[in-house]
Amino acid sequence: MTAAVAKREVARRRRAAHLPNERREAIAGLLFILPDTLGLFVFLGLPMILAIALSAFDVDGFGGYRFVGLGNYVRMTADPLFWSSLRVTLVFAAMAVPLLYVTGLSLALLVQRSSRFNTAMRFLFFAPQVVSLVVVGLVWQLMSVEKLGVLPRFAASLGFGGVSFLGDPSIALFTIVLAFVWFLMGFYMLIFIGGLQDIPREYYEAARMDGAGRRASFWHITLPLLKPTSFFVLIVSTVTAVAGQQAFDLVYVMTKGGPANSTLLLISYIYQQAFRYGAFGYAAAMATLLVVILMAITLIFFAATRGGRFQYD
Amino acid sequence: MTNELTGRPWSRRSFLKAGAGLGAAGLAGLPLTAARAESAAMNFMQFIGPGGPAKTQSDWIVQLVDAWNSAHDEKVSLEYVPDSEYIGGTKLSSSFASGAGPDVFLISPGDFLRYYNGGVLADLSPFIEPAARADFPETVIANRMVDGKIFGVPMEVEPMAFYYSVKAFEDAGLSEKDVPKTWDELLEIGKKLTTSDRYGLLFETAPGYYQNFTWYPFMWQGGGEFQDASGKSTFDSPATVAALKLWQDAVASGAAPRQALGGGGSDIVANLGSGYCAIQNMGIWGISDMANNAPDFKYGVFRLPVPTGGKYVTVGGGWAFVANARGRNPEAAGRFIAWALASMSPDSIQRVVDWCTVAKSDMPPRDSALKAGAAAFDKGELGVFTREIHPGTRAEPRLPPEVYKSISDAIQGAMLGGVDAAEAARIASQQIDGFLATYKGAPLL
Repeated sequence: MTAAVAKREVARRRRAAHLPNERREAIAGLLFILPDTLGLFVFLGLPMILAIALSAFDVDGFGGYRFVGLGNYVRMTADPLFWSSLRVTLVFAAMAVPLLYVTGLSLALLVQRSSRFNTAMRFLFFAPQVVSLVVVGLVWQLMSVEKLGVLPRFAASLGFGGVSFLGDPSIALFTIVLAFVWFLMGFYMLIFIGGLQDIPREYYEAARMDGAGRRASFWHITLPLLKPTSFFVLIVSTVTAVAGQQAFDLVYVMTKGGPANSTLLLISYIYQQAFRYGAFGYAAAMATLLVVILMAITLIFFAATRGGRFQYD
Repeated sequence: MTNELTGRPWSRRSFLKAGAGLGAAGLAGLPLTAARAESAAMNFMQFIGPGGPAKTQSDWIVQLVDAWNSAHDEKVSLEYVPDSEYIGGTKLSSSFASGAGPDVFLISPGDFLRYYNGGVLADLSPFIEPAARADFPETVIANRMVDGKIFGVPMEVEPMAFYYSVKAFEDAGLSEKDVPKTWDELLEIGKKLTTSDRYGLLFETAPGYYQNFTWYPFMWQGGGEFQDASGKSTFDSPATVAALKLWQDAVASGAAPRQALGGGGSDIVANLGSGYCAIQNMGIWGISDMANNAPDFKYGVFRLPVPTGGKYVTVGGGWAFVANARGRNPEAAGRFIAWALASMSPDSIQRVVDWCTVAKSDMPPRDSALKAGAAAFDKGELGVFTREIHPGTRAEPRLPPEVYKSISDAIQGAMLGGVDAAEAARIASQQIDGFLATYKGAPLL
């Protein structure tokens, strides 16, 4: 090391030593989150900004851009398929979220105690999560095949012969919901198990000594103390259902939005407009609206729970 | 943890230095990558090969490109994209949207207008000699032409027909003589062939270009059309309503399913081959699909039945080679396409014969190829297509996505949604008229 370099190093160390510890920690902290922040900005923030900007253009998909202002948003109001797909999305969420909540919590209650059997069951319930969604879609498609599939045969054995689980517009969406819940229930089960394990055993013992049965304990101890977990599950599952994550893949594989647009979610319609018809601007406008809807839902959840804080009396 | 090169422990500073170095190296590499891409061969994006699902087809396209590359300075490289990711997925459209469209690619008539109106299809006419141009029948080439110029060279013609299971017919006490010739007979025999674990007949059930494509001939048979000479929609016609009602009746009667197996209505092995249905509405490519995947399955082929007072017509789809007008070298791409499929050289003609008889089972888009491969085109089920089915072929219509979607909604609504056929046709016709009023682009055909 030359004398000049050594001198510079000494000067740098002196300067650094003058920084208060708090500031140094703050700088270190900022440096630690910098890569992640950059990643989020480049891969999420920037595309979102670009998508919002794109929604103000008529884009032909071949490099042609024409500024249309709010034209794409006006087009939405007169597009019956937009309204239809929005309705399908909301119905999907209205069916999927309560079902996910109930199945996730029920499974967690069933297998919350530690035992080898319960560990095996937890693994089985979680297993769909490790399977590709395309495979899940194909399996459910096969299970639903008219005359041959497990579901139609089971329905026939109950006296409901001739049911088409994916070909009947009044049933197809529910079948997609079932596949969606089946895929995600293990994940939410694990979250609920975590929540259940946080509840002190003493509360149950005290309740038992006071004469409370299992049902009373559930309603007056378990459910109230699971509020933070329930909040998390409800908000995440609602956003997942409305945004069409996972559901998009299932619809793509199982029905392609049919029969008669009965399973065409908003996210599927956005995809169709962008990649089938080349209407990237219109698709971006619908995607922007979807984000606004998701933000509104999240805000409502937070407002209703005072920012997700729960107090126990 | 120590740095293995220097032997000194890793410090926060050395991590940052290494990261910055890697970043700089990455950025420095970008121009090199771009420069390499500039000088690379013409990119031919398609869903056939190398490594595609059908070896005979994959071999055909690999040999085609090898032959070109060995004799020309401008090289072509194949980019295989699985079918589901090609036009059905995001690959082709997103490559154009990002300004990196392939130099040569494949499209079907269903997508022609979108790409033509987008200005990315190169005029191939200058590269096709007059004799070769005359070799393509008008019914085959017309939907790839605008203002007398050729923008796509078809590699095949794929007429639609019905395939039936010989065993299912025999089990129901039917024979080849009983194949339906009218729509009424089709429904009646469909019902007769329906059992507790099998459907009598199958039409495509999933919404999409393919379902529209398979439905068009039923509309044409009764005299239905999309628009009149003045450009107004004529979709709301008795012929259209009858065609919608035929598919509706087939499902409502329980003779046809609401859901197809495997890859859908274009998958003959998963449906007819598995015994899920006894009769399947299917294209000519079903012959090679069955030969490759269910060689022992006994089946027959018959042409589309007609409505009372109607005229026989079927639809012929098929893919075409097209060149990107904004590609790296549209002129070389045009020369490549003409050399491959539209030259009067014996190799070019034989290539078409090989594609339609060895790689696949299709009708050739060229008269000379039909003559050169006469023996092969007259054999077995392909012979039935040549003699009975193909003569009534009408080219697949080219429609903008908006019109296609209105028609798709009408088919889906009537067939599976319980919508009255007349109402479905009326709504679609209104939507088509609304769109055509402001449409600016190449004519619909």
